[in-house]
Amino acid sequence: MIDTFALALGHGLLAFAMLRLVMRAGLDEDPLIDSLTAETKSNRKQASAAGRNAARRAARGESDVPEEAAP
Amino acid sequence: MKDLFFLTFIAYVLLLGLRRPFIWVLLYIYIDILSPQRIGYSIITSLPLSLIAFAAAFGGWLALDRKEGARFTLRQGLMLALLAYCWWTTGNADFPEEALTKWDWVWKALLFAIFLPLTLTTRARIEGLALSLVLSVAMIVIATGLKVVTGGGGYGELNFFVDDNSGIYESSTLATVAIGLIPLLWWLVRHGTIFPKHWSVTLFAAALTFAAFLVPIGTEARTGLLCIAALAIMMLRYTKRRLLFIAGAGVLGLTALPFLPQSYYDRMATIAEPGRDESASTRVAVWNWTLDYVQTKPLGGGFDAYRSNRFTYTMPVKKTDGNTTTIEYTEVEDKARAFHSSIFEMLGEQGWPGLAIWALLHLSGLWQMERIQRRWKKADEEATRWIAPLAGALQMGAVIYLVGATFQGIAYQPVMLMLVGLQIGLATYCLRIDSAQANLARSASRRAAADGQMRGAVAA
Repeated sequence: MIDTFALALGHGLLAFAMLRLVMRAGLDEDPLIDSLTAETKSNRKQASAAGRNAARRAARGESDVPEEAAP
Repeated sequence: MKDLFFLTFIAYVLLLGLRRPFIWVLLYIYIDILSPQRIGYSIITSLPLSLIAFAAAFGGWLALDRKEGARFTLRQGLMLALLAYCWWTTGNADFPEEALTKWDWVWKALLFAIFLPLTLTTRARIEGLALSLVLSVAMIVIATGLKVVTGGGGYGELNFFVDDNSGIYESSTLATVAIGLIPLLWWLVRHGTIFPKHWSVTLFAAALTFAAFLVPIGTEARTGLLCIAALAIMMLRYTKRRLLFIAGAGVLGLTALPFLPQSYYDRMATIAEPGRDESASTRVAVWNWTLDYVQTKPLGGGFDAYRSNRFTYTMPVKKTDGNTTTIEYTEVEDKARAFHSSIFEMLGEQGWPGLAIWALLHLSGLWQMERIQRRWKKADEEATRWIAPLAGALQMGAVIYLVGATFQGIAYQPVMLMLVGLQIGLATYCLRIDSAQANLARSASRRAAADGQMRGAVAA
């Protein structure tokens, strides 16, 4: 009787816990690490885009200056 | 009926695993701890459940898992070295047949502990593993606790699900494991997300803790009492009102005293006077024998090397004749006595190299958990504040295990090796967060620099 009760309770809780784990989005992909990685990627993208833009503008600015200053 | 019940549960978990293969890792843990194939009577006893679960867990990980963040660490390397060394000593064992029998389960326990951290790549998995460990052991503990409360008990007299005095179903081992998992249980209560904070969870944990305390009392396992003492001492570190805690523990202990049977007092009294008890006297004699043995065999004698021991020692024997009690010192001869200590088990079986690897594996775990606690103790965000308390709980569990292991030959206890796997998984996970945060900080400063450059260019 005691054994049956302990086994039924334990298995019931374990079955429920496993079901909840299976339904969970964060089981295979960690939300914290994923968000940190995503933010890093976005920063890198922005930095490289911003860097490229800045370089382009700077280059354009340099080539513009002599033209404007020519006359 | 029981067989059908177990098989239905296993089939259910196998089905769940089709969607998320990690669940099969938890299935292996459940089967390895509870051994349903040994509890059942008919068909289940002939099924290789452990093998099926391991094949599913490993195959699922190999074929279907993302494996992102899986790392092979130094402590896994130590276990691999221990596994290789045990394999070598088994080939050169004093008792080849007996050594092979022990090797047969030791390699599986070590291999699984090496594999386990590779699967623990997310917080949910770490928690899932901790919960499965606790719930699997809880079934045995609940049944034992209830039997003690309803009047059963006595050293070697309590009936577990399996009555062969092996693995976790040995009373002292169960007492150590049950007490060692209490900190992890309370971590689950405070930081668990599968069963979030709720009064019913706290009530279950309180009842389970009580049942865990009843295991060493009901089984009269002396080691269990030492484990409870170790737990109480370590809890002082995490208690804000220490004096109140000490007073409370004292009152609780005193209140429990009248309910304990006389046989319990008699057995516990032998902790302080080992000479009065044959089991305790033998321990000291076996330990001395082991020290002599490794002088001739420093590389160990392989599993079950203790079988060659033979020694005599004097023991006081009480004789009561009417009103007079006389104590006579008689010489007792003993042979093939087990090591009764994991330290001497490792030393005798695997020699100094084996003991060194084993000690390094566990001591590095204590240090690793200490570092994680210090690194993450100030984390107050929901996503990270669970880390330091988990490291604390795993450290306490490891210390309790080491206290228990000093007086029992449980050097390869699978549950404790799973705790080692959990420690490694947590450490790797923390390193990944650290590295992801460092990358983020670096990318943020680069972005800021690039933004500044852009503003500068626009301004120019």
